[in-house]
Amino acid sequence: MNNNINENMTSTDQEQRPSHYPQNVERNTQFWKSFEEKNDTPEYQKAVETEFMSSPLREETKHEGTEKDGLARRDFLKLMGASVALTSAAGCIRRPVQKMVPYVKQPEEVTLGVSNYYTSSYFDGQEGFGLLVKSREGRPVHIEGNPSYPLNGSAVSSQAQASLLGLYDPERLQKPYRNLLNEARTNKETVSVSWEDLDAKVVEQLGKGSVAILTGNIASPATSAVIQDFCAGFKADAYAWDPLAQDDLTEGQKTSFGGEAVLPEYRYDKAKTIVSVDADFLGSWGPSTSASALFAQGRRDLDKMSRLYSFDSTYSLTGANADVRFRIKPSQQLDAVLALIDGVADKKIDVEKLGFNSEVFAKLVSELKDNKGSTIVVAGGISTRTVDSQNLQIAVNYLNHLLGNDGKTISAKSESRASYSSMNNLIKAMNAGSVQTLIIHRQNPFYALSESFGFVEALKKVAMVIYIGDTMDETARFAHYVATDNHALETWSDSEFSKGVYGIHQPLIRTMYDTRSFQLSLMTWAFMAKVGPERIQKYETFYDYLKAFIKSDILPKYGKGQDFESFWNNLLQKGFVGEVTYSTSSRSFKSDSFSQIKKQSESHKLELVLYAKTHIGAGNLANVGWLQELPDPVTKIVWDNYASVSLKTAETMKLKQGNVVTVKTGQTSMNLPLHIQPGLHDEVVAIAVGYGRTHAGKVGNGIGVNAFPFVESKNGNAIFAGQSVELTKTGEKYELVTTQGHDSMEGRQIVVQATNKDYKANKGANIHRHHTWSIWSGHQYNGHKWGMAIDLNTCTGCSSCMTACQSENNIHVVGKKYVMQGREMHWIRIDRYYIGEAENAQAVFMPMLCQHCDNAPCEAVCPVAATVHSDEGLNEMVYNRCVGTRYCSNNCPYKVRRFNWFNYAKLIEAPMHMSLNPEVTVRVRGVMEKCTFCVQRIKAAKNIATQENRLLKDGDIKVACETACPTKAITFGDLNDDNSRVAKVFAKEERAYAVLEEWYAKPAIRYMSKIRNNDEVTASHGPTHDAKGADHA
Amino acid sequence: MSMRIFVGSVKNIFILFFTAAILSGCFFQNPDGGERIGIGYNKGYSPEQPIAFNHELHVSTHKIQCQYCHNQVERSKSSNIPALSTCMNCHQQIAGEGENAKEIKKLREAYADNKSIEWVKVHMLPDHVQFNHQAHVTKGVSCQTCHGEIEKMAKVYQYSDLSMGWCINCHRQPENKAPLNCTTCHH
Repeated sequence: MNNNINENMTSTDQEQRPSHYPQNVERNTQFWKSFEEKNDTPEYQKAVETEFMSSPLREETKHEGTEKDGLARRDFLKLMGASVALTSAAGCIRRPVQKMVPYVKQPEEVTLGVSNYYTSSYFDGQEGFGLLVKSREGRPVHIEGNPSYPLNGSAVSSQAQASLLGLYDPERLQKPYRNLLNEARTNKETVSVSWEDLDAKVVEQLGKGSVAILTGNIASPATSAVIQDFCAGFKADAYAWDPLAQDDLTEGQKTSFGGEAVLPEYRYDKAKTIVSVDADFLGSWGPSTSASALFAQGRRDLDKMSRLYSFDSTYSLTGANADVRFRIKPSQQLDAVLALIDGVADKKIDVEKLGFNSEVFAKLVSELKDNKGSTIVVAGGISTRTVDSQNLQIAVNYLNHLLGNDGKTISAKSESRASYSSMNNLIKAMNAGSVQTLIIHRQNPFYALSESFGFVEALKKVAMVIYIGDTMDETARFAHYVATDNHALETWSDSEFSKGVYGIHQPLIRTMYDTRSFQLSLMTWAFMAKVGPERIQKYETFYDYLKAFIKSDILPKYGKGQDFESFWNNLLQKGFVGEVTYSTSSRSFKSDSFSQIKKQSESHKLELVLYAKTHIGAGNLANVGWLQELPDPVTKIVWDNYASVSLKTAETMKLKQGNVVTVKTGQTSMNLPLHIQPGLHDEVVAIAVGYGRTHAGKVGNGIGVNAFPFVESKNGNAIFAGQSVELTKTGEKYELVTTQGHDSMEGRQIVVQATNKDYKANKGANIHRHHTWSIWSGHQYNGHKWGMAIDLNTCTGCSSCMTACQSENNIHVVGKKYVMQGREMHWIRIDRYYIGEAENAQAVFMPMLCQHCDNAPCEAVCPVAATVHSDEGLNEMVYNRCVGTRYCSNNCPYKVRRFNWFNYAKLIEAPMHMSLNPEVTVRVRGVMEKCTFCVQRIKAAKNIATQENRLLKDGDIKVACETACPTKAITFGDLNDDNSRVAKVFAKEERAYAVLEEWYAKPAIRYMSKIRNNDEVTASHGPTHDAKGADHA
Repeated sequence: MSMRIFVGSVKNIFILFFTAAILSGCFFQNPDGGERIGIGYNKGYSPEQPIAFNHELHVSTHKIQCQYCHNQVERSKSSNIPALSTCMNCHQQIAGEGENAKEIKKLREAYADNKSIEWVKVHMLPDHVQFNHQAHVTKGVSCQTCHGEIEKMAKVYQYSDLSMGWCINCHRQPENKAPLNCTTCHH
């Protein structure tokens, strides 16, 4: 480093900092991760000085709820002495004798040590995935997307991947139960019951009539058929409800276009301009994985990339990815759409009163007019469920109609059954006494339905409640019988996630416990009561029913002229039949539906908006540690929900991050910690639902606060947003834990963002290239040289890659307390940088993982050569050599190394250990670890190529993060193969840059700059470089 | 305070001597009475098995190929211990005589009861090592290179010391063209 940057710094700058604070780093204040960093506070400076946020010697009681760690250092050394003696004594006799137990009868399909892959499906109530599940010796260990599946391809959401842990959850119910409830149903005495007794009692009760069945959204045609048969047999009524139900959307469609209440399907790849009104289609709303894939397709060609406008009342992932983001409050949702309608109809509009920049808004209007037929206006999700939600949907439909989008970028999809009106009907029926038996399938109204709906009271009028699910959750506890359901990975089923695509859902494992699938329970009861159509009584298993159903109902539709056996085999092999078909006819809009709308919502000083988090959703998978520890894509907070407000609001109310506030709407009030969110509207309080479960299990219980009680029931509508809300300070403090702010990179050039205008002028805009040189010729790579390319432009920050990595590489969950101390273990993280001013900050996401540097700084400092360089360019981590000095991590400029502070593996409770990937070592305490570029996958692919006597091809190796990425932002390959996708990026791509190039670590990862398509020109900023740019060598 | 340190150090010295004594015992002990082996290596280890399976009889006398029983060795990183059903292919018919009959009876009974046999593992690699049989076998490395003359072993013993140095010795030979990266085995 030379000194000329120092000259740029004012002397006061230097005086303020402690002497050992890095004096001559270029600080780019445009990009920031947290307010502390932006303001460069003394606390922040202190935090970045220490490499490890905590040391084992430091007192841990600083943080709440920590028990005293009994082992002081000296005791530890004494113990060490003893254990050396013990191990050496054991050394010459055999270590614990291990047994090998072969199969009695060799299963045909199992080869010990070789993975099998099965096609299957997953449905989370909103989005469905075609899956390819990896199974080892009969147990599923990793979930990926089915690469040939039309909707999601190889990508899957974090939830779908994490559902694997649900299978091995030690708290999953293992047998049927009954509840010895007293008259008032206040006690909870759960005892086990045999299936015979349960069936007998249930059938007797069902025979009395007045049966109702409550399910969620169901994407399986065969399951729907069973329910239909069951209802026909017992003259039962079927109701469907989901906490995130979208009946505002479907009813809006029905009112606008007539016909069925359908869900629209959006073709984001075909649109030039996309306007999202609080519809988080890239994050938490609808089929976000396939939507992200389509969205990225429309943006890959930078010359023709689409433009996303977002009206955002939370800071959603969609808002973060928007080219232009308008911050709004919920009562402005309808105003914004009405203003657009007026604008498109060439009426005079005044948007300044909504707080929008009128120039930008006018540009949006003219773009919509110019691109008729290739735009999308979309609103949806719980954040749009204000009192005006119906009106909003109709207005959006009208606008799309005006723009000629219907049938082009938007088409009607299959119906979505779950709705709040259905739930209201059920409650009405229960209150009227016309429901004597209620069967609840995997829905949790005791948790997710607020009291104002009156479900709990109404349920008391039901003589028998039968719950079919696999955890003793809030609702199951109050059921008379719990007919324990299989896990999805233990069940045969099918799926139809989109019109024209029929998929199979294969089980991956035989039922682990004494459980029975939902479908088989219904079939058994119909069989015992001898009611219903022939098929529901005839078959002994749901598998037989499914096969017969496919033969009779699906084959004529999807496999005309094929014989059943070949259709069936093909279905199992491929996982699906058919292809996505979009209806291209535009529906006629009922114009009176629009003229009748009348805005009902009032503007409030402070408005509540509830939203679903991308990974937690409605909280169904709250007991999965992977999801709780996965940072929220935007706030990067783990293990909590919170009340978000803008910086200005917090300042006016004299609130600080982590202050506990009382949030009060109408009758409901609760205490939540405060989070200050850049870019939020000043009159909004945003709270995530899906937290505060009380009976999710050991992991999920008591995490955060349940925000569902804020939901109001008004004229049958569920109101999630727009209520007037009061905030009061309680004086308490609570520590919210964020992973951002750990691992600071000191404000150097890390992320690069340019606008489309910058890009047109200079493809490598905003990238500072550094002239670097060395007197050493460097490593020679004669065979392969592995490298990776990451496109920041298509990365949406969804974090699926993190879960994929966690599952593939046996990465431990450490819990909130240790994340607080900077001990999270994720090998790949998504860094979120805010850009610009806090009022309306933009966000850029950057996946950060081991860069596998050629001149790796970590390798040079390891005293025991535990991290070394391979002749294929991998930076290898040898666990059995590592003695845990952590020098490597200190010296890593990218902050990607993770240390095992404790023996986390020991905490894995059986049968959770069955989810571990046997191809990757489970690390023990005291060992450093980091991304390996999925070396086990590299080895496996090489091995296959050798067996097939051929060379490796580009694309043979797909690393876990790359596979799971919906937008294909990550590419892995061989840099020595000139034709590989990665080599091309390294050689030709002008947007490509190496992070911290000036350090000359020569990373094997190139990032491609983020392009924001908003016609602005980036003002020059940052430290001045001299013209040659050759000064930081 | 100083007293306590003194007492502590006496204790430590005791531990040190104790450790040294045990270590040296290890160095000088070895099961074959031949060469001295390192700590923790189990060369020559030959535990009693629940069924006294005789490789010599099966391979040398009856000329059964290795891969008849260990049939997945060419396809998988792990060589399989044959399933009982594989044994029963022959032993359905062959009951054996004398001592052998007793052993075969154990097998037949286990199979009839649908119970497996708990064999004692002889060849055990340390933790953190990923070994691939398939890669070695298909490259033409014979079973005997690592397992010794298994066809002559009435009772199996560990022939090689299976230490890292022993692995590397082979991998280092240029004619083997074997990789020498750490992650070849450790990941």
